[in-house]
Amino acid sequence: MSSILARSLSKSYGSVLAVDGIDLDVRSGHVFGFLGPNGAGKSTTIKLLTTLIPPTNGTIEILGINANKNPLEVRKRIGVVLQQPSYEPNLSVENSLEKYGMMWNIDRKTRKERAAELIDVFELGEIRKRKNEDLSIGQRRRVQVAREFMHEMDLLFLDEPTVGLDPGARRKLLDFLKNKAKTGLTIFYTTHVLTEAEYLCDEIAVIDKGKILAVDTPDQLKNTFGQEKTIKIHLSDRHQKLAELLSEIGDCIIDFNTGTDIIIQSSKSEIVLSKILQILIENNIEVEDLSAVPTTLEEIFLKIVRNSDAPNN
Amino acid sequence: MHPTIRLVNRNLTISLNPGFLVWQVIFPLVYIFVAGFAYTTLIDSVPFGNTSLDYPAFIASGMIGFNIMNSTLVSGIIIWNDRRHGMFEQILVGPFTRRNYILSNVYTIGIVGLISAAIITAIGFPLFFKSVEFNLLTIPFLVFASIVGSILFGSIASVISTRLKSSEGFNVIINTVFLFFAFVSTAFYPAEGAPEPLATAFYLNPLTYLVDIIRAGIFGTITEFVILEMAVLIVAATSLFIIAIKLLTKLDL
Repeated sequence: MSSILARSLSKSYGSVLAVDGIDLDVRSGHVFGFLGPNGAGKSTTIKLLTTLIPPTNGTIEILGINANKNPLEVRKRIGVVLQQPSYEPNLSVENSLEKYGMMWNIDRKTRKERAAELIDVFELGEIRKRKNEDLSIGQRRRVQVAREFMHEMDLLFLDEPTVGLDPGARRKLLDFLKNKAKTGLTIFYTTHVLTEAEYLCDEIAVIDKGKILAVDTPDQLKNTFGQEKTIKIHLSDRHQKLAELLSEIGDCIIDFNTGTDIIIQSSKSEIVLSKILQILIENNIEVEDLSAVPTTLEEIFLKIVRNSDAPNN
Repeated sequence: MHPTIRLVNRNLTISLNPGFLVWQVIFPLVYIFVAGFAYTTLIDSVPFGNTSLDYPAFIASGMIGFNIMNSTLVSGIIIWNDRRHGMFEQILVGPFTRRNYILSNVYTIGIVGLISAAIITAIGFPLFFKSVEFNLLTIPFLVFASIVGSILFGSIASVISTRLKSSEGFNVIINTVFLFFAFVSTAFYPAEGAPEPLATAFYLNPLTYLVDIIRAGIFGTITEFVILEMAVLIVAATSLFIIAIKLLTKLDL
């Protein structure tokens, strides 16, 4: 079953087409990553899916409900952490959790229990009495994410939730979300940090200029777009002729060359690597480091976006 | 609990902070007791309709209208604060409609206006009780002034909150509006005897109408002119309310 089903979804602001006829199908219980560079249309898509703004064209079905016709029914069953901070400046952390629960019509006893639990899980104990206006950006973000779990939901939208978080808090949040997903919660997750998407998401969509460029599992994206491996060579001393010798190998592209550091991309890395070794030995070139690493999701993402920028696209 | 009531509960919680209470209670008290008694040495009595009032009674009754304006301007900026702190969008992705949000602000402003009027009436009562002419219309006049005044000033604050984008611009406008309303009105001094064009400017200010209606209710001086002032206030409040609702409904996200 799909938690999100969007067809030919578009949103334009005057002559600017922010979202350009996208289709989305997010299966229930999955964590769906939504990646794209700044201004790609990620936040606009979230605003459309959360019924905050109406689409110019297209249909949206959230949890089986027609979002165009019944936006309130959709909003009652979703949680949303928007990209921009949202807080009540003069409320303490504890009170803002409690008040948010009240806004969602959660009874007093449950509110108190949940607030205590979330303060513990999100490690807000030390700042529970502190006012939101006195918190750091990262602390405020933690409260904003924690607050959303004051109410029950079937689908959670998170728009770059880890912005401002330190690495420890970031990892804890990801683990918390992973556990929530195991209980059946569907998560729509946008981020710039691709290692997060790789760690958390069952499926990933890449969006740029309002269009979806690729949708698949992280592994499948790597198989499709990441056949190449990256070969990195670090020399003890500069060697002027090495790049020239390497360029004769074929089946590879020299991506980067400073004279001592050379990065090569190749889809036939094993053959290329043996040829490189041969050249190094024959020319008596001293090497400090030589490695061949699989393409990361980040490189795939950059490749997909770069391809979409190519003139023939 | 109905979504609008839940939002009113939230609005009151975030509005009723110590700073707001000081602003609402301490400032009018300073005006009533310090200015009221200090100026008594300069102003013996103030002509009012067919009678005259001593200055403490005049300013204490004026402070009821002043406080309605003051408190509802502050409550009206809930929208500004919600926009500034991201809560406007957050509420609208929750289990609420725009209608819920707008109504919650109207109710909050009305409640704050009524409470403010009640507080200052209670505090000022010892000062004007000698001159009070209680009649059947006293309480309805005070309630009318509280509700219509709240809607009017709350709508003005809402309009400003929806139109402006920068904090600097917002502060300049809201302070200018406050200063004009507060001091170019009959809250502190009577229009009679004021030089032109100041006397005319007094009657371009809705606070003057509000204060006149409150005094008419308290001191039993209900004249045709006061009825006209009530009509003007209703028209102004309704027009501004409609404008505020339209702007809020169209507010971009």
